[in-house]
Amino acid sequence: MEFAWSEQDAAFRRELVAFLDRELADWQRSETGLGSAVYSEFSRAFVGKLADKGWLTPHWPPEYGGGGQGAWQHFVLGEEMWKRGEPRGPQYMNVNWVGPALIKYGTEQQRRTLLPPIARGEVFWCQGFSEPEAGTDLAALRTRAVREGDGFVLNGQKIWTSYANVADYCFLLARTGSTASGRAGISVFLLPLDTPGVEVRRISGLVGEHSFNELFLTDAWIPAECLLGEENEGWRIVRRTLAYERVGAPRYARAALVLDRLAERCREAGLFGDEGIQEQFGAARAQCEAARVLVYRVIDERAKAKEPSPLANQARAAMVLAERAVGDLAVDVLGSEALAEGELGDAQFRNSLGAGIAAGSYEVQLNLITRLILKLPKD
Amino acid sequence: MDFELSSTQRALLEALDTLLDRHAGTERSRELAELGAYDRELEAALREGGFEELFGAEEAGPLDATLAVERIAMRLGAVTPVPRMLVLPALGLEPPEGPVVLAVAGDPGPIRYGAQATRMLLADGPRCVLAELDPDTAEPVPSAYGYPLARPVSRKSRELGPGTAAAMMNWWRVGVSAEAVGMMRQAMDIAVTYAKDRKVFGRALGSFQALQHRLAELSVAVEGARWLVYEAAFSGARAESAAVAAAHTMAALGRVTRETHQIMGAVGLTTEHDLHLWTLRMQTLRTELGGRRGHDRAVVAARWGRAS
Repeated sequence: MEFAWSEQDAAFRRELVAFLDRELADWQRSETGLGSAVYSEFSRAFVGKLADKGWLTPHWPPEYGGGGQGAWQHFVLGEEMWKRGEPRGPQYMNVNWVGPALIKYGTEQQRRTLLPPIARGEVFWCQGFSEPEAGTDLAALRTRAVREGDGFVLNGQKIWTSYANVADYCFLLARTGSTASGRAGISVFLLPLDTPGVEVRRISGLVGEHSFNELFLTDAWIPAECLLGEENEGWRIVRRTLAYERVGAPRYARAALVLDRLAERCREAGLFGDEGIQEQFGAARAQCEAARVLVYRVIDERAKAKEPSPLANQARAAMVLAERAVGDLAVDVLGSEALAEGELGDAQFRNSLGAGIAAGSYEVQLNLITRLILKLPKD
Repeated sequence: MDFELSSTQRALLEALDTLLDRHAGTERSRELAELGAYDRELEAALREGGFEELFGAEEAGPLDATLAVERIAMRLGAVTPVPRMLVLPALGLEPPEGPVVLAVAGDPGPIRYGAQATRMLLADGPRCVLAELDPDTAEPVPSAYGYPLARPVSRKSRELGPGTAAAMMNWWRVGVSAEAVGMMRQAMDIAVTYAKDRKVFGRALGSFQALQHRLAELSVAVEGARWLVYEAAFSGARAESAAVAAAHTMAALGRVTRETHQIMGAVGLTTEHDLHLWTLRMQTLRTELGGRRGHDRAVVAARWGRAS
């Protein structure tokens, strides 16, 4: 057991932090601007710079534009980015799992055409999973893909699709099997969003101007080359490639940074002498740290190339609690100042509302812990 | 980073388990509790086994000592492993024979083994005071909480150097949290096993989602606490790390107590059942160093400095 950073990883973080301090000096992420034009333009330019440094896809194999680096460096990168409000925008999804899924399941042609633009930071992808009738219960999805000629015709609707308004491609799940086929009848499609019959509509949301979109597919025909892996193999692909994604966005790092800033604010306002306030800060800091150490345990497994384990579900649950603790603290402690648009507290609170919903709900994490770790009997 | 036990650590814990099989456990704990006694045999066995020297040992260290403290508490060893295996070694002091206790000046509350101890370390401002105690004049406080409690009386004392109080309190936080983590894991095991076996309304108690989610949340809290404690020990009980570990541990402790008892139902309230051996002792740990609230404030002091 050992909890120190290797010299190599520590040096990487130092270099990265210096770079980010320089590059992001004037950039304040408009906290409610997820998917907004300003944010997306910034992200496109920024990921290009990261790509030039070799820091966009450092953990990918070199033959696909990666740096062949280890899991810890990849994670350090994620931690530092998330702390700063994820300036890569949707690019983090490409880097974390879209690319790796293409590497593992793609044909040679798919890899050759789709990976280099990701590694260069030129394209955005979005994730077409949820549907109006299939969110947490994802296997109930109904969007259909039917073979026609040398391709498939897509019909259906996706929802909550962050970044669909700016993305070039969608990593889409659709049903290729019968209505009753459940998990066994789902396939992955790599859908270019400029395909005729694809329409994106914005949904006004609590977090960001464009954080939610709907994606309508009406007789959208795509060539067979857009199918990833085997037909009806989608569920397995997604399970495998998303196994680490429960901890792919190190949300506790952002929460911890916001907490530091809130502490500064409280000190300036002369509120920090209050023992009750101190206690809320102490408990929130401890929750952020607990999330961090549980996430590190998952990364340790990943670095050792172990099979993904349910420890990720514990880590994810702890992250949700950390984000909520800091969001609640902001409103409790700062009072109505926290509610002003774009304020630190406002952003943290509104973001924390979604923490237990995206990427597998909090309750699903608890169900999986129950079954896989505690091994309690089913209903 | 490496979150797995090394082969040396595994061997160490196996050896400790063998020793604890002979000198600790529920039966032994019940006998000693009946007499209100401290386990001198276990203390001697730990000393002879080299476990008291782990902290400064070349092939081991503070983390290994902390793992041992966790295990001793988990097995209900009736000794004082936190001062003996962590705090005294951290201050460069040899543990004397017999129970040693820890206290903070200005807190007159009764402490574990307060009437059996011959030595007490007292945090007084920036310094530690090492006091000799007079067991004959100590004031025992009757209590149901597993450990014999008493207000000790010191005979004579000497001051240690400046800064010693901080080192003492930081290692105390790590140590009492390690003890609590060991006990919470055991209490959880008991409740989870019971939830699998016990049938109610024609099905397993643990198949009800209302209970499943509560147990799952506890596992998140306890695992978070456990790894924070290990990390704090590895860091040499850095002030913030130690306070964070203790704050999170003690926040979990209250919930583990409530939920494990709730799941066990009335049988968990009998002395015949073992659950209370851990849950009642846990409450004693919960009160040390100002408890959860005190640890929370210590986090603030360590991370953001004192108020104003």
